[in-house]
Amino acid sequence: MDSAPSRYVIRIDGHLGTTVLSAFPALTPQHCGPHTLLTGLLDRSALYGVLAEIEALGLDLLEIQKLGPSKDR
Amino acid sequence: MAPTPPRLIDRGDLLAALDRAVASKVTIISAPAGSGKTSLLRAWAGRPGRMDGLALVQVQRDARDAQQFWLAVFDAIRRATGSNSGAQEPTTATPDFNGHAMVDRVLSELADAPGGVTVAVDDLHELHSPEALAQLTRLLTGLPSNVHAILTTRHDVRLRLHQLRLSGELAEIRAADLRFSERETRELLDASGITLSAAGVTLLHQRTEGWAAGLRLAVISLVDHPDPERFVTEFSGSHRTVAEYLLAEMLDREPPDVQDLLLRSSLLDRVNGELADLLTGRLGSEQILLDLEDANAFVESLDPGRVWFRYHHLLSDLLRLELRRTLPAEIPAMHRRAAAWFTQHGEVAEAIRYTQAAGDWREAAQLLTDHAFSLTLDGQAQTMQALLQAFPPGEDHTELALVRATVDLLRGRLDQAAAHLTVAEAHAQSAPPGRRGRLQVAVAALNLSLAGRRGNFDSVVDQARFLASPLTGTSDEAIALGSDLRAVALMNLGTVEAWSQGLPDAERHLQEGAELAREIGRPYLEVGCLAQLAFAYIFHSAATPKADAFATTQRRCREAIALAERYGWGTEPVIAPALMTLAGTMVMLGELDEGEQWLQRTEQALQTDTGPDIRLLLHQTAGMLYAGRGRRHEALEEFGVAEDLAARLEGSQALASQVTGWRLATQARLGRLGEARADLAALDDERAGSGEVRNALAAICLAEGDPVAALDALHDVLDGTAPVLGYATLIEAHLLTGLAHRELGDQSAANQAAEQALALAEPDRLVLPFAMTGSAELLDSLPRHETGHAALLADILDLLHGSSPAAEEQSSMPPTEALSPTELRVLRFLPTNLTRPEIAGELSVSPNTVSTHLRSIYAKLQVRDRSSAVQRARELRLLADRRTR
Repeated sequence: MDSAPSRYVIRIDGHLGTTVLSAFPALTPQHCGPHTLLTGLLDRSALYGVLAEIEALGLDLLEIQKLGPSKDR
Repeated sequence: MAPTPPRLIDRGDLLAALDRAVASKVTIISAPAGSGKTSLLRAWAGRPGRMDGLALVQVQRDARDAQQFWLAVFDAIRRATGSNSGAQEPTTATPDFNGHAMVDRVLSELADAPGGVTVAVDDLHELHSPEALAQLTRLLTGLPSNVHAILTTRHDVRLRLHQLRLSGELAEIRAADLRFSERETRELLDASGITLSAAGVTLLHQRTEGWAAGLRLAVISLVDHPDPERFVTEFSGSHRTVAEYLLAEMLDREPPDVQDLLLRSSLLDRVNGELADLLTGRLGSEQILLDLEDANAFVESLDPGRVWFRYHHLLSDLLRLELRRTLPAEIPAMHRRAAAWFTQHGEVAEAIRYTQAAGDWREAAQLLTDHAFSLTLDGQAQTMQALLQAFPPGEDHTELALVRATVDLLRGRLDQAAAHLTVAEAHAQSAPPGRRGRLQVAVAALNLSLAGRRGNFDSVVDQARFLASPLTGTSDEAIALGSDLRAVALMNLGTVEAWSQGLPDAERHLQEGAELAREIGRPYLEVGCLAQLAFAYIFHSAATPKADAFATTQRRCREAIALAERYGWGTEPVIAPALMTLAGTMVMLGELDEGEQWLQRTEQALQTDTGPDIRLLLHQTAGMLYAGRGRRHEALEEFGVAEDLAARLEGSQALASQVTGWRLATQARLGRLGEARADLAALDDERAGSGEVRNALAAICLAEGDPVAALDALHDVLDGTAPVLGYATLIEAHLLTGLAHRELGDQSAANQAAEQALALAEPDRLVLPFAMTGSAELLDSLPRHETGHAALLADILDLLHGSSPAAEEQSSMPPTEALSPTELRVLRFLPTNLTRPEIAGELSVSPNTVSTHLRSIYAKLQVRDRSSAVQRARELRLLADRRTR
């Protein structure tokens, strides 16, 4: 199992406002058409934490993409 | 406030779908937050005409305590089945929760329920206890035919329900089923008095995708909106997420004080008017909460009196985010205020949680330490553990060592407990004088408990001094905490004393503990003290034959067990010592079937306990039971296990010598002489010199065909030189002596020894030693006219020849008129070979009197002759009852 953090892009339906975005301090938001992309470096447990937040806030998760270990941080 | 609250509409199709689903054993409603799962469940449950009982269990947020969950399930079921009254006390938590036994109780409660029952568990995804989930699987797969279950959850939960799925007994309702149709959207708007064009309805339905929470939020904003069409168009044109957009809209339409209240009180998992006032700094919060609930604005009351409220989880999560964003600096102070309120109202677990949330780790550690015993007694051990785990690595206060030791002890991790206790002890010494005394008593109580578990009883005296003076406190709370502590300490002290020191101290402390426990309303401790008291009594009464010692013990056992049963603890570890003692005395008295039943119950009660001491007794008694039935291979095995457990005790040599002695003797009787000799040679001098092991040596010599050596071995036991655990050892010694004389051909000496054994056994009517030593032939050849113990002898021979009456026959007998004490005395001679004049001689009455009694006995027992009278008397167990002798 990969223990090093990886860069993830998480696509959520709709534009997240400041209230909801404050639940994801480790991720950088970006609007992409009608969606929001959340990007950041996450290890596995952080990733599952983010997923739990998405579930708790009733957000519509569209896609999760792993970009591989980041070299730029 | 909106004047016309939005109403839930009757979603007929969905209700019908749930109706179809509950034809299956288990229905799972699995859908994301805000899908309307709980609303569906409540609408379905509240429909008129539903006949069966509904047991609704709301899982608390982030629930980690299996016991709290199961108590809620059990109480909900008892309310639903109406069995909530009667002699039973309300279900009470215990420190040693047995999940398996709890599910058994739930199942039997359900099986006994008249009519059908639906068990509904709401928010199952909040249950984070693998133990509780595993037990829930067991419940769901074993539901009686008149019961079904409905579970709601945000995501599929790991329950192992493949079997139910395969057999078509599992139905599911998922997000797609819960979605509002366009028609239902229209109905919802109509019911709430909202006028919207058909296009507007379509737009709203598309934008929310039929998501229940979205529609409910929209309705709250739309009620009384000046321009509903514009609202929907704007909403539809926004890319914001549905919940966030609508929440902002809803808040905007509320007056500032309501907004502020919603934001601030979202911090708590449950809130009441008083707490909300505290958090907002304003009065009148209760009315706002009531209005919000009436407006169906995601606020719901938790009790019929509408004192406590909670927010819809989705709403409270969003509000909390907003609170943290807008008022971050005020949050710790708000947590502190909530913690103070909960402390004041005795809700310790919540008080500690909010103290932790405020970041006041030192205070949280102190609170947790002060309440460790009370939380344990309240059955919140797992909650306590979760609170303990919430301390971050940098905040590991030495204060917490006491809590860690408590948890370790509960989990049976004795070495860790000992290490933490050492730290706690040092910490107590450096504590300020006000707390020092209490901490020291707590450490002493835990040390005693640890000593008991390890069988290391030497440290007892040292610990007892902390109990010399009662703990004083300045507040009611301090006194209550002190009393809990003191009662636990007394129970632990008395328990250890029962195993080591002697009866007077043990009895005094246990009795004091039981009384204190009764005073302060801690039935768990009362039961614990009484159970240990019963054990202590027999353990020490066994030293000398004493009329009625066994009867008194059994009465005490039954009283303790009856009290435990009132609280539903009939098979909990706390009552195990009494169950064990009752089983052991039954076996000793030759009541093997009844003894076996109690032994089985003891075993059930000990499923979760880990202490070697009581398990030792369990296996020893099982060995006695097998030996009594002549099943020596099984007996040997049980004695072997008991001996291994004895080796793990650091003290309690006396008990160890008993079980070692019986194991060696059983080996010898099975012909395993080499083994027996080798094991005997390996014993240390102290053990080898005990009366029990000397008896075993005699049994070995007899098996080797060397009765002279056997007599030699028994010499020290009979003259009192060798220490013995109880007088049962002396009975054995006499019997072995008799057997040796028999081998040597000295019948007269054999008879004399047998008679001495009978004389010793008579007061308590101890039967087992005769069976264990294999003394049937010795007794058979004892002339009846030479014994003064004819009735006892007959009972013993009954057992040895395998004609012990079965216990269950007793209840099926027609009632019999009670025999008088004199008639009972005559009756006890009937199994013997004595003639009427001989019986008359024994009783110092005339033969005519005996004849009169006999006629009366025959009439009362409804029999015609002596042999059927004997048989009937055996069935009615009249021959074994010693109280009327």
